Amino acid sequence: MEIGFNVNSREFRRKRDLLWLLTKKEITLKYKRTFLGILWSLLNPILFAIVLFIAFKIFMRIQMENYIFFLLAALFPWNWFSASIIMSTGTLIGNVSLIKKVIFPRHFLIIATVLAQLVNLLFAMPIIVAFSYYYGEGPGINWLLIVPILIAIQFTVTIGICLMVSVINAYFRDMEYIIGVIITMLFWMTPVVYPLDIVPEAYRIYLILNPLTYLITAWRDIFMLNSTNWSNIIVSFGISLAFFLSGIFFFQRLGRRLDEVI
Amino acid sequence: MSYIIEVEDLWKRFPMRRDRPGFKEFFVNLPKFINRESNSYFWALKGISFKVERGECVGIIGKNGAGKSTLLSLILGNVYPTRGRVKVSEKIIPLLELGAGFHPDMTGRENILINGVLLSLTKNEVMERMENIIAFSEIGEFIDLPVRTYSTGMYLRIAFSVAIHMDPKLLLIDEILAVGDEAFQKKSKEALLRLIKGGVTTILVSHNLPAIKEICDRAIWLDEGRIREEGEPERVVEEYLRYSR
Repeated sequence: MEIGFNVNSREFRRKRDLLWLLTKKEITLKYKRTFLGILWSLLNPILFAIVLFIAFKIFMRIQMENYIFFLLAALFPWNWFSASIIMSTGTLIGNVSLIKKVIFPRHFLIIATVLAQLVNLLFAMPIIVAFSYYYGEGPGINWLLIVPILIAIQFTVTIGICLMVSVINAYFRDMEYIIGVIITMLFWMTPVVYPLDIVPEAYRIYLILNPLTYLITAWRDIFMLNSTNWSNIIVSFGISLAFFLSGIFFFQRLGRRLDEVI
Repeated sequence: MSYIIEVEDLWKRFPMRRDRPGFKEFFVNLPKFINRESNSYFWALKGISFKVERGECVGIIGKNGAGKSTLLSLILGNVYPTRGRVKVSEKIIPLLELGAGFHPDMTGRENILINGVLLSLTKNEVMERMENIIAFSEIGEFIDLPVRTYSTGMYLRIAFSVAIHMDPKLLLIDEILAVGDEAFQKKSKEALLRLIKGGVTTILVSHNLPAIKEICDRAIWLDEGRIREEGEPERVVEEYLRYSR
């Protein structure tokens, strides 16, 4: 898994083109034969947010102002994470002919999957900005710095997990089923629909062990309060890096015998 | 003399399991998985060595299951040798499966672009050749329709056309000489011949023995993972035929 840093070399340009084309393919194919097209990427989390709103705000009467904004501020980033992992589980085994018959960097397939899901988050930004104006004082200048940083951190952790999951799934197809359960579990164990301080003190430690807790909290801080807790960001960056490196390790190790199992 | 491909004592085995195990078997049999030797294997290649010079065209013949395709995959580099090594000192254009990676929902044009970049060119370079590729494939106005609407012949023609427009230096070909109808077969064979005679190093796996005799400078006969015979195509093909009869 080498990354060329000679920006002017032809091979670098080719790799860049390849990554761009694979990402574009991923984006356009996903909604190619649907009526609403890429709008689904927004509709999905919004509909989900409405359901959660009805369940928690109306039925269970959670005490919080701006609960719908509270949900969306976490759901859009969460969706990028979960959709990437679910999509990438099948990426390697879904591209058998490419992997067996063409020589190219295989991890590009995974990166393209994650990048394609990122587009959904970017599409959602206007909605978040609108909410921010409606419920608060509007986005601050610090968004321009913090949002890219958070995207980079989340990209790193997501890529790491996706690399692992996709290559493990080539060996054990059980992964596909396990990952669905894990994602659901992770969703409820991450402060997405509830704030962290609602959790009883004794159990909070388990949530803090979850790498996404920091990340989702950081997203919400910036979107809702225009504020940043740098220690949150540093911790989540550290965790992301650990996942990223183990992802690369797994992918390289198991990737060598990929041809025998897919 | 400079060698483009050096294959040295190449061995390759594949695990022979009836089913790939799930997590449960994996944990139950964990010691067995760690101690790999207790599994059974199929040896696809058993100690192959040969060298290919620049500009040479080498034909590989043999029965089904003799290891021909495995050998090509090893040279291509997406299969790792169990033992031995393969050294390749040139960018490979594989013609192992025409249209590998084509997506049925993308148009001919979109597939050409992504396939061209996958094989060896930058986006701009593919765009420059786009009209030539389309013209050679004789697809006509279908080029902007999704390839799922294409006939098999059209699909193969377009895939072949991309591959030969890549400026190959080293071609790996796995039995694709018969593409499309009579007229296109002739055209594609001529295009390939032009490349081969023009000095492109070629490894050609084929059951088309007359073609091997006609095109290749040398032939290798693989039999159950070993080189059975090697040399003058005429002679190797005759021996192979005598043995097969």
